[in-house]
Amino acid sequence: MRYLVYVLKRVVSLIPVLLGISFIVFFLIRLIPGDPAATLLGVHATPEAIKELRDQMGLEKPLLSQYLTFLGHLLQGNLGYSYVYSSSVLELITTSLPVTIWLLVSGTFFTLLIAVPLAVLAAARRNGVADNIIRAVPVVGLGLPAFLLGIVLILVFGLKLGWFPVGGYGLSLAEHLRGIVLPGVTVALTLAPIVIRSLRASMIEVLSSDYIVTAHSKGISTARVVLGHALRNAAVSSVTVLGVNIAYLTGSTLVVERVFSLPGIGQQMINSIFGRDFPTVQGITLVFAIMVVVVNLLTDVAHSALDPRVQLT
Amino acid sequence: MSDHSTDASTPSASQVSAGLRVPDISRRRMLQLGALGIGAFASAPLLAACGSSSDTSTGTSSGASSGAAKKGGDLVLVRDHDAVNMDKTMVFSNASIWTYAQIYEPLVAMTEDGLGVRPWLAESYEMSPDNQSCTLKLRKGVKFHNGQPMTSADVKFSIDESSKTKGGWEFINSAIKEVTTPDDYTVVVTTKYPWAPLLADLSCPNNGIIPKDYAGKTKDEFYAAPIGTGPFVWGTWQKGSALTLKKNPSYWQSGKPYLDSVTWKVVADSNARAIQLQGGQAHINESPPFSSLAQLKNTPNVKVDLFPSTRTDYIMMNQHKKPYDDVHVRRAISYAIDREALVKTILFGNGTPANSFLMPSTPFYDKNCPGIQYDMNKAREELRQSSVPNGFTTTWLAMSGDAVDAAIAQVLQASLKELGITLNIQNVDPSAQHDMTGKLDYEIAHSYWTMDLADPDELAQFALDPTSGGHSFDTGFDDPSIIDLVHQAQKEFDKTKRQALYSEIQAKAAESAFLAFLFYTPFPYATASTVKGFKVLPTGSYHMEDVSL
Repeated sequence: MRYLVYVLKRVVSLIPVLLGISFIVFFLIRLIPGDPAATLLGVHATPEAIKELRDQMGLEKPLLSQYLTFLGHLLQGNLGYSYVYSSSVLELITTSLPVTIWLLVSGTFFTLLIAVPLAVLAAARRNGVADNIIRAVPVVGLGLPAFLLGIVLILVFGLKLGWFPVGGYGLSLAEHLRGIVLPGVTVALTLAPIVIRSLRASMIEVLSSDYIVTAHSKGISTARVVLGHALRNAAVSSVTVLGVNIAYLTGSTLVVERVFSLPGIGQQMINSIFGRDFPTVQGITLVFAIMVVVVNLLTDVAHSALDPRVQLT
Repeated sequence: MSDHSTDASTPSASQVSAGLRVPDISRRRMLQLGALGIGAFASAPLLAACGSSSDTSTGTSSGASSGAAKKGGDLVLVRDHDAVNMDKTMVFSNASIWTYAQIYEPLVAMTEDGLGVRPWLAESYEMSPDNQSCTLKLRKGVKFHNGQPMTSADVKFSIDESSKTKGGWEFINSAIKEVTTPDDYTVVVTTKYPWAPLLADLSCPNNGIIPKDYAGKTKDEFYAAPIGTGPFVWGTWQKGSALTLKKNPSYWQSGKPYLDSVTWKVVADSNARAIQLQGGQAHINESPPFSSLAQLKNTPNVKVDLFPSTRTDYIMMNQHKKPYDDVHVRRAISYAIDREALVKTILFGNGTPANSFLMPSTPFYDKNCPGIQYDMNKAREELRQSSVPNGFTTTWLAMSGDAVDAAIAQVLQASLKELGITLNIQNVDPSAQHDMTGKLDYEIAHSYWTMDLADPDELAQFALDPTSGGHSFDTGFDDPSIIDLVHQAQKEFDKTKRQALYSEIQAKAAESAFLAFLFYTPFPYATASTVKGFKVLPTGSYHMEDVSL
């Protein structure tokens, strides 16, 4: 119940945020040079043809009236009609958004899979060989750009070993699952080092606290002390770190999508910007905003679940 | 006009295309957008890791089939951006046209060399003695994908729709007065005046044949799942991702098509496309960057073809801005361009310097047109005679993320420096560049062109005749004597006389240096060695009914 009220509050507070974003995006995209009609019609277009198409698109009306029309449609849940594709913006988003969400989920999953065991091991063997290796090696992942990392993974696991497709997303669930592994690992390799460092630091702090000493002295096994008592407390701060980074990633999955030929929303966004497809750019920006808010919300809820002292208000 | 789109790191990304995957702008220009920018990372050397030596074929043209073609198979073609729309009267994106050309077919089709037309849905055609009407006899037994037979009423509807749809391809049909249908299998196309490009115009994709009244649907419904007489029928389209067409089992060319389906998959990154081809997930890679061709040629089971194209790259100089209204300035710049160097650095040697605004795979191209070639002494001499003998400062409007554009600007910058001309480079994104050049709001910039039909008039009109509604290739060039020649050539049916007119036009256009002609570029394609019969026309389109796996 307390989660429900909290979530509702957050959803309501989302409305002014979205309004603000819609305002900024609407005017910003129109400030940059480039015209959707000229872009669509290409070099052969005469000035008259361009004007005709701008008329049809409603671009000849005053900006403010265009914005109010957009807002009016938005309130009815209508994101508009793409200038480039003959389809609604909502249809474009519902095709590409699931791909990006899959990518984020898979990226988070692999990040946890990699980061948690390594951080725990490093903290438990503080300053040992394992700790030093774990602190040093993953940093390489931070420094490697995703397009390079991705291609190396494709070459090794796609082309040489043939375990995964070399790109694409497939059509069935099984193909989605296979296709999302390497992109997810690529995301995880850039995200994991941050989580490892943060989790290791909090683990070390927690491991030296009094109740851990007490737990040890009670004769509880090291494994249980570390995994059962220390990890949960140490995880609190790392959840925030992970959440912030995933939220950040939401806007930057493009590179990974591109390398793995995933028809995700980042790719769609870039295409729309280059095509000056105003309605699609506006729609996707709003979706990004919602996603960032949702990730933050989930982070807060997870934070509270892990640490009952944290009140969701 | 179209643009051949490609990845940013290839030459063709230059001016026109876009589509970016996006929007193809114009056929020509748009495509480019698509490809643009982002892909610039990732470059060919990475692929080196996977290619191994040498048992490969590398041809330079054709994809001739040997032996009997096998039936069946699902062909996958990877391209850098998606089609945008199937509306043949409106869409300029090459990715869309090359796809819908498998669904709608024209009355006459371009020949393989791009120099003429041949019967297609029309079995025969004949011009009237006054050259003002053409009578076409339709092939019998041709059916649309819904089973309805194709008749003259459908042909009339198809051509009339394109003629009256504003803001699209109606300019191609501007000379057509009316289309009449004496009987079910005869069509008479009458022109307002003698119009030599008529047959070529009828081969243009906008005049593909669709059923009358959209087979009872609305226009939007029809183009959402279009039907035609072509070898492939509409399948599925996940926008931004993949478009699949299925075999037409009752295609009029018996025995064809061989393939069960064709899928165009969008793979924005050029390395990813190369890897998918190598990994067997794709059979044809639509636009590998020239920088990667050497590597691809050394990849097992991959073959690289360079199909002659109509793509020609130019430098535009805006005559509404000083000092480009001075012919000596334009000539000086044109002389200062080292075209051989551009072909080497941009096309990795896979092209030739241009001598005319027309290209060799277009009828009436004059290979003897002198053009203006690299000569720094002549450049200095021209500049001395100009209004700015000591040089000047100017701004190059570059398309950001476009490797070809950047390379041209750099080569030019260096030679112009010797003349005392300072070239500053202003980067804007492709859509903005297109918009600004279209409004003549620039000084000097790069652009390119590909033809859509087998007649030079499409380009001659666009590039030299501002009375047709444009700005002479966005240069503001306006020479009444050349415009007059262009109009004469439109009406001349005698091939020898028409050749003489176009030779004169090409020579005069070169002399005026209204554009600096740069180089002719082939269409690069990488295909799996299992693909047979795949050939690309000089316009960039292809006949998938001839392809087998």
